[in-house]
Amino acid sequence: MKTLKRYGAIYREFVNNCFAAALTYRLHFILLIVMDLIFYFTILGSVEFLFQHLDKIGPWGRTEFMFFMSFMIAVEHLHMTFISENFWEFSYDIRTGRLDFILLKPVGALFIIFFRSMRPGTLLNGFFPWAYLIYFGSQLHLNALQWLALPLLVLLGLALLTSVEILISMSMFWIVESMGVNFFRMQLQQVARWPDFVYQYFAQKFFSYLVPVLLVGSAPVSFLITGDWTGLSKMLGLLVICWGLIGFFWRKGLASYESASS
Amino acid sequence: MSLAAEASKWGATIKIAWSKYLAYKLNFLLQVLGPVLVFFFIRYNLWSAIYGLEGVKTLQGYNFSEMISYQVWVMIVGFIGLGFNGMNLAEDIRLGRISAYLIYPFGFWQFHASSFLAFQLIQLGVAGITLIAVSLAGWVEFTALNLLLGVLYCCCVALFWFQVNFLIGILAFWLEETWVMRVMMVTVSQFFSGALIPLEIFPAWLRQVLDYLPFPYLTWVPVKIFSGTYNQPLLPAFGLILLWSLIAWGCAQYVWQRGIKAYTGAGI
Repeated sequence: MKTLKRYGAIYREFVNNCFAAALTYRLHFILLIVMDLIFYFTILGSVEFLFQHLDKIGPWGRTEFMFFMSFMIAVEHLHMTFISENFWEFSYDIRTGRLDFILLKPVGALFIIFFRSMRPGTLLNGFFPWAYLIYFGSQLHLNALQWLALPLLVLLGLALLTSVEILISMSMFWIVESMGVNFFRMQLQQVARWPDFVYQYFAQKFFSYLVPVLLVGSAPVSFLITGDWTGLSKMLGLLVICWGLIGFFWRKGLASYESASS
Repeated sequence: MSLAAEASKWGATIKIAWSKYLAYKLNFLLQVLGPVLVFFFIRYNLWSAIYGLEGVKTLQGYNFSEMISYQVWVMIVGFIGLGFNGMNLAEDIRLGRISAYLIYPFGFWQFHASSFLAFQLIQLGVAGITLIAVSLAGWVEFTALNLLLGVLYCCCVALFWFQVNFLIGILAFWLEETWVMRVMMVTVSQFFSGALIPLEIFPAWLRQVLDYLPFPYLTWVPVKIFSGTYNQPLLPAFGLILLWSLIAWGCAQYVWQRGIKAYTGAGI
């Protein structure tokens, strides 16, 4: 409990710093909001236009598909707000040796690396994904328990996506120029943005077990629509495996880290 | 200054740019080729699911093989047309690194233009290899004339993107970060250019609006030229993309002239 409080206090400081920095550059702050709105529009617009010509894609009709898209937007909104920025900084930390100063601090280094930066501008956009989610969820007639589970499932999706990305970003210890790793991470988000049944057999298995980004949205939404638990249990199992691997590669990475600044 | 001396500067800069781009090959693969390939991979799966599971034979005039062919051409246009120049311009300006360029006997725009040419030559090679592979797989059919016209048109699209990226990059004379605008521009153009879904699937009213904007000329038009299904005169299509490039170039020159006066040369 004491440790949690301590980390909570540190996180509060991170948030305060990020807000102060964000408000210094107001145009950038506003542009971030506009960028997210455009992003939401293009994602939902693509599906909307497709369903003007189709009744179903796979087993889902328009409402189920739009609910899935809204779910993914909600996950990505939290990801973009609280996590995304940190991956770019991690790459910079390793290349410039700035990681040394993080390792010296008396706090878990992974916590500082992946949770120190956020985008306050994006936080304001939270209304939109949740409004869509509630709108399409009500069209699906979700019951009270499903509504209660929804925020937890979004957080579970975020946890899996973030864990997979942290695991991938461990490769930055060995790749000198790691901008490409960040681009690869973003491509995985694109893959996750569509339901698993869209993908053909091998792609579906690959992105459900080896790089399990397809579970991020498909497993929770399938659970809400059909009550199928299997996807969720896979998510939890793979989360545990992911964190085991992150620990392993983090230690290996630190052992081979050359500390550019020293 | 003689033309030969100027050409040698361009040649030397192109060589340096090549070695920079290809120094970290995995990074180049993930950053430049990866997004286009993943984009195609997702589209291929999505359209396979739509045509396979639904029993849909045609969608707004496209059957399955025509849709896959469309997506392949989108990938080729992406390789040749989309540039990545100007990604570090904001940082260069903010940290005062462009001061070094300003004292070189080679203009800042010329430096970036020759880097752009180096990138284009690599991308043409990548597009060529991809085209051979997809042709062998039987995904696309084309004539030599359509291929030549398509590649020419894509080079015009690349020129447009180069000017736009340069323009956005040099806005860093006043702005802290410019990547947001680049992402916005790419997101909007991917959607409205028909890269995500063909424009025929868009509502009619939106297609009419898009006729007055440059977006269809960035993907939809070159794809149609490649596949030999562009049934309008070609000259206006070339003229329009070049006109938009010229407008972007004019804006970039204006912004550069204003920006260089505002430049404080941090770090000098």
